[in-house]
Amino acid sequence: MKATSYNPFETAQKQFDRTADLLQLNQATRDLLRNPIREYHFSIPVRMDNGKTKIFRGFRVQHNDARGPSKGGIRFHPQETIDTVRALAMWMTWKTAVAEIPLGGGKGGVICDPHNLSKNEQEQICRGWVRQIVKNVGPYEDVPAPDVMTSAQHMLWMLDEYETIVGEKRPGFITGKPVGLGGSLGRKEATGYGVMITVREALKELNIEPKNTSASFQGFGNVARYAIELYQQMGGTVVCVSCWDQKDQTSYAYRKKEGIDLQELLSITDPFGGIDKAQAEALGYEVLPGDAWLEQDVDILVPAALENQITQENVNKVSGRVKIIAEGANGPTTDEADQYINERKIFIIPDLLANAGGVTCSYFEQVQSNMNYFWEKDEVLGKLDVKMTSAFISVSDFAKMNNLDMRSAAYVISVDRVAQACQDRGWV
Amino acid sequence: MNKDKSLEKLIGDLKERAKELNCLYEIQELLSNTDLPVEEICMGIVQAIPPGWQFPDVCQAKIVYRDNVFQPDGFKETPWQQCANITIQDETVGKICVCYTEERPPADEGPFLKEERKLIETIAEQFGLYILHQQLKSVFEGQKQIQKEQKTEWKVILDLLKHTDPKLLIRISRKMVNYLCWTGLKEAELLLENFGPAYSEESELLKESNRPYQARGRSDLLSLSYEIFEVAGNHLSEDEVLNHIHKWIKEDRSGFLVNVLVDTGSSLGKISGAIERYHHLAMQGLELSIPREISFRVALIRRLMSDQPGFSRIAKKYIQVDDFSDLMQRMIYPTGSHGKLGGKSSGLFLAKQILKKEARKNSILQNIKTPKTWYITSDGILNFIRYNNLEDIIEQKYKDIGQVHQEYPYVVYVFKNSPFPPEIIQGLSLALDSFGEVPLIVRSSSLLEDRLGAAFAGKYKSLFIANQGTKEERLAELTDAVAEVYASIFGPDPVGYRIEQGLQDYHEEMGIMIQEVVGNKVGRYFFPAFAGVAFSNNEFRWSNRIKREDGLVRLVPGLGTRAVDRLSNDYPILIAPGQPNLRANTTIDEIIRYSPKYIDVINLETRTFESLNIHKLLKEYGKDYTLVDKLLSVLEENHIRQPRPIGTDYNKGNFVVTFEGLISNTPFIDQIKSILAVLSEKYNHPIDIEFAHDGRDFYLLQCRSQSYAEDIKPASIPSNIPEERTIFTAKRYISNGLVANVTHIVYVDPQKYSEISNYQDLIAVGRVVGRLNKILPKRQFILMGPGRWGSRGDIKLGVSVTYSEINNTSMLIEIARKQKDYVPDLSFGTHFFQDLVEANIRYLPLYPDDKGIIFNEHFLNNSKNILPDILPDFAHLSEVIKVIDVPSSFEGEVLQIRMNAEDEKAIAFLTQPTDEIETKADKKEATVDIYKSDIYWRWRLRCAESIAANLDTARFGVKGFYVFGSTKNATAGPESDIDILIHFIGTTAQQKDLLTWLEGWNLSLSHTNFTRTGKKIDNLLDIHLITDEDIKNRTSYASKIGAVTDAAMPLSVGTALNKKDVSR
Repeated sequence: MKATSYNPFETAQKQFDRTADLLQLNQATRDLLRNPIREYHFSIPVRMDNGKTKIFRGFRVQHNDARGPSKGGIRFHPQETIDTVRALAMWMTWKTAVAEIPLGGGKGGVICDPHNLSKNEQEQICRGWVRQIVKNVGPYEDVPAPDVMTSAQHMLWMLDEYETIVGEKRPGFITGKPVGLGGSLGRKEATGYGVMITVREALKELNIEPKNTSASFQGFGNVARYAIELYQQMGGTVVCVSCWDQKDQTSYAYRKKEGIDLQELLSITDPFGGIDKAQAEALGYEVLPGDAWLEQDVDILVPAALENQITQENVNKVSGRVKIIAEGANGPTTDEADQYINERKIFIIPDLLANAGGVTCSYFEQVQSNMNYFWEKDEVLGKLDVKMTSAFISVSDFAKMNNLDMRSAAYVISVDRVAQACQDRGWV
Repeated sequence: MNKDKSLEKLIGDLKERAKELNCLYEIQELLSNTDLPVEEICMGIVQAIPPGWQFPDVCQAKIVYRDNVFQPDGFKETPWQQCANITIQDETVGKICVCYTEERPPADEGPFLKEERKLIETIAEQFGLYILHQQLKSVFEGQKQIQKEQKTEWKVILDLLKHTDPKLLIRISRKMVNYLCWTGLKEAELLLENFGPAYSEESELLKESNRPYQARGRSDLLSLSYEIFEVAGNHLSEDEVLNHIHKWIKEDRSGFLVNVLVDTGSSLGKISGAIERYHHLAMQGLELSIPREISFRVALIRRLMSDQPGFSRIAKKYIQVDDFSDLMQRMIYPTGSHGKLGGKSSGLFLAKQILKKEARKNSILQNIKTPKTWYITSDGILNFIRYNNLEDIIEQKYKDIGQVHQEYPYVVYVFKNSPFPPEIIQGLSLALDSFGEVPLIVRSSSLLEDRLGAAFAGKYKSLFIANQGTKEERLAELTDAVAEVYASIFGPDPVGYRIEQGLQDYHEEMGIMIQEVVGNKVGRYFFPAFAGVAFSNNEFRWSNRIKREDGLVRLVPGLGTRAVDRLSNDYPILIAPGQPNLRANTTIDEIIRYSPKYIDVINLETRTFESLNIHKLLKEYGKDYTLVDKLLSVLEENHIRQPRPIGTDYNKGNFVVTFEGLISNTPFIDQIKSILAVLSEKYNHPIDIEFAHDGRDFYLLQCRSQSYAEDIKPASIPSNIPEERTIFTAKRYISNGLVANVTHIVYVDPQKYSEISNYQDLIAVGRVVGRLNKILPKRQFILMGPGRWGSRGDIKLGVSVTYSEINNTSMLIEIARKQKDYVPDLSFGTHFFQDLVEANIRYLPLYPDDKGIIFNEHFLNNSKNILPDILPDFAHLSEVIKVIDVPSSFEGEVLQIRMNAEDEKAIAFLTQPTDEIETKADKKEATVDIYKSDIYWRWRLRCAESIAANLDTARFGVKGFYVFGSTKNATAGPESDIDILIHFIGTTAQQKDLLTWLEGWNLSLSHTNFTRTGKKIDNLLDIHLITDEDIKNRTSYASKIGAVTDAAMPLSVGTALNKKDVSR
């Protein structure tokens, strides 16, 4: 074994290279898209609580903004590597492209461990980050958002610093703000609804009536809950959900063959997504091992919890009845399992597309902020439906037209769109 | 006896006592008013007396003093009369009489009660003292007057004393001669020799003379007194001599206290009486010399609190004699008691006095309260036992632990059904009247608990009682609780612990502390706004910026029970008071996951202690919960903020307990920081406290030297371990502890890990660790790996695991290897820091590239790696993950890790297995439910190991020996069997032999188990034989071998017979 360590950016570049071959991109386009278009590395001096100054390393990677302002999170991580950030920025470019929203891709962060920092010190880091890069970010250039170890609070500190420097209110500078301070309604629902909108469209293509279908979910957080909500509105039957049990340090699947009652389950769920096992049993749910969600005899599987859940080892337990797997979580299926699923001709809705509802809603937040106008929830969700539906149809048509599986199609179509934009702008 | 009647009588009696006390107080008030003339005082007493007697309407009193008679108008002599003489210096100067004008039913002394006899004697005595005081005062004043005018001498006083109190004169003379000697006067030394035992070097007494010392007669001494004062008069001014006499006479009045305190036979009753008397004298201006005051303090501290020199050394500085007066009024003790308060009560009392004194200097310590407390002295339990003839129960501690187990429910039953002696009942009843209808906690206050360094905490019971309803119900509930706490002395857990600690023979007595529960009534519940424990030393630091002396607070909403114990399914909020802004949990996910979800309360309706889901409680009573806006944060998706003081609807929305408002907007943190600092400084030792807050005031509930659970004591670091036997050493961010008997090391090689080139393999490393966590013996293996365990985000920085994938390790080690020119930051286990704390999994960072550090890579890389054997699916990762079975690779040796935070040193080395304290997996389980204790599975595992070690493989045709089920999984209880799997390849005859051989083991182990636990199991060994074919087909139990989850664990076979045979 050659002693080269795993590098996420190289992996992302290889994936891009294969797609570039398929799309027969010219060398200039490849060179442009293989690497970020701009990278900023800078130092942030922070006066710590004890009066001493400490220097933190900050950065921002803008992978591509041919289709619109860069969009991507800001991570606080103690051992962040630039290659991870580059890979994630590239991923954002494809994600905004597949959702057909006019944004590019970016990512940034600060090397720090919030566990070693007071709130005040974190605030100083946020403000310091903005001061260093204020000239290269903004509602029409690059729009940050919360990410690993950052929250709405960090976004508000950054927004405040930004607005103070530019001397006017520009809430569109950043997303992930709380409702009432420039945040958008519908954020909670967006990802889960988005998943189910794509499932609905997939069912249409497969000529199946939603009301004749059943589904099993992994996870019971925001994504799964709202996906279930919409699915039940569509008439589908949810047979099984699984979730983590903090007390027992394991996950359980809760099954009711005639269909679970979402409100009933929510009433025995703590605010953090754990279902009370004893109460669920009392309500007549079968309590099965956590993996059982995957083995149910249903039409639709929705992994909406963690990555690497459908693996070589368990993929053969997927029921023959399953027709659709919708990836609500990021990367729930391993490469080996993916091959097997393709061979089985199960319709997979890849994460890039299935969970694009989240980034779409961030875009809506930005739009509302830029025009200083506030949409009601119905309006947000209505627009979300339109966006997700058209995104799905494009990918699906593209897949059929080019004889690709859905995962490849989603990826290829997004690279194609970005390459096209670069070309149209005369960059390559 | 009719229960109602006895209660009625009891209440009647109590009313009488109250009247009597009232009467006494009134009289004492009169006597303390020194401006009143004697006549008025006498008339006052005569009027104050009747209401104190049983039949005030027919009661009259008179005082005869010298030639005067004081009596109310219309006083008439009757036959129903009792009198007490008034004496001054042994001379009767008058009498006090009480009489009834009409006949009343006969009692102890005619119609009078025996308590009334005592009362009238006390009044007469007090009056006598008052008169003496007045006389001396007027003599002095007259003297001073004369002195000023005529410069005459103090001889007048001596004359007066000679006539009124010659003993006093001698005592004063002795003091004067001593004083003169100390000032270095030669003449005085001569006098001293004549006067009495002299403590000069030339003293006869010190020359070990065999002759008895010749004591002198009183008249000699009296004339000598005059000589002494002559000498004094020659060397001291008039004023000086007078002042000394004055001072000594005053001091002499506290002589009664000396007598009581010097006499080790004085009962608490006597001491209490003396203190009471002292208290009144003090109000009248009794002053003591500093040495005398201190010796009183020390004597009282010894008698009532602790005879540990360490304790009294501190306590004597802060507790004054008068402080005992208040304390003794709230002590309940048997007649003739010689008991003490016990460790917990004394510790709290001392802490309270320290804080009171320090509050004068530091305003933040003002208004720190302690809850109202009553005490039963430590001999109360013996009294209770004697009263009910239960003496044989004391033998319990010498019984076999199994029998203790079996008999404990019976002991509890007997105690709860035994009546308390009447004086205790009376005391408890007074206590209940003083408390009123508020919830109480009955806590043990054992004498063992004040031994420095012994953590006896939590071994005895503490019980909450609601204390609601009629007086009768409340008294019944209280006595029931006291009986149950008493019974807990004989519980298997404390007895077992005492055996372990060699304290079996220590004479155990247990005081009881009855404390008002701090809190508020919220709906049908009662609880404090919040409570917790705090330590002046922080042994669980989550950031390298936190120092040990920054301390640690564990905060919970409601009763503090949830903060005291480590919890398996809930978390307290952790704060380091020295660094309150560095939080253990910073991301929203962590804040939510590690927030308290339950609250302990007292339900006033059902009168029970309950743990409630806090969110349910908030929905019902959120707005009534005092301080709620300081305890909660509002969670809005990705945003967390403090609630506004008004307009927050606790019925809607998501709330997380964070204590954010309390920490950042109130002086709470400063307050607790100061308390910890002051107390640990005064104790000259780290301390821990328990506290509660009712939303208005901070209440201190307990204070003691910081104790360590057995496994987190600082371990001594051996210096003589050869380098080749040392696996690693560490010098940075060390906590305390000893992790002994580690049998397996899981080592993820940082270099090899960083070279993994594909993502799936990186993920797989985490999964392998997860499986090892299930397979390896619980709490007997350690995990060592690069960077940050459980890293989210960038997997390259550390192995990606969840807490459930490491929760059986005894230790989590992070290795920071130097990379180019920097050493990476370690996580300090932050991703699941609180889980580690609650489960007591130790954390240690290693910096192998530091100077002077040993990191034995040769051992880690070259020892036999059993990963391919136990997880063949992951053999391809055996370059990265090493699993070392220490005993089988190193002839039965194990790994031991010793950590010492004081010295900032830790070492891991190979050694023989030890019986030294083993890591207790879960402290709470051990105290609450003995059946979950570690000892059962450990013992079973050792049994299985020794059977395997003694098994002759050739003779019986055995190829392998495995243990599985509860013994392997560390869940075995006293009634569990030992599941054994034997891979058998022999003949039928061998099989028969083998089974017979095992049957022998079975019988003997079953019997041993019975004597150990009192549980009878017929077949302790559950043997399953499997063949090659079974293994090939993985049929029946054979599937357990090499199973991915819950696999059977192979044991070394025949090692005890011939070591050379075991070549694995």
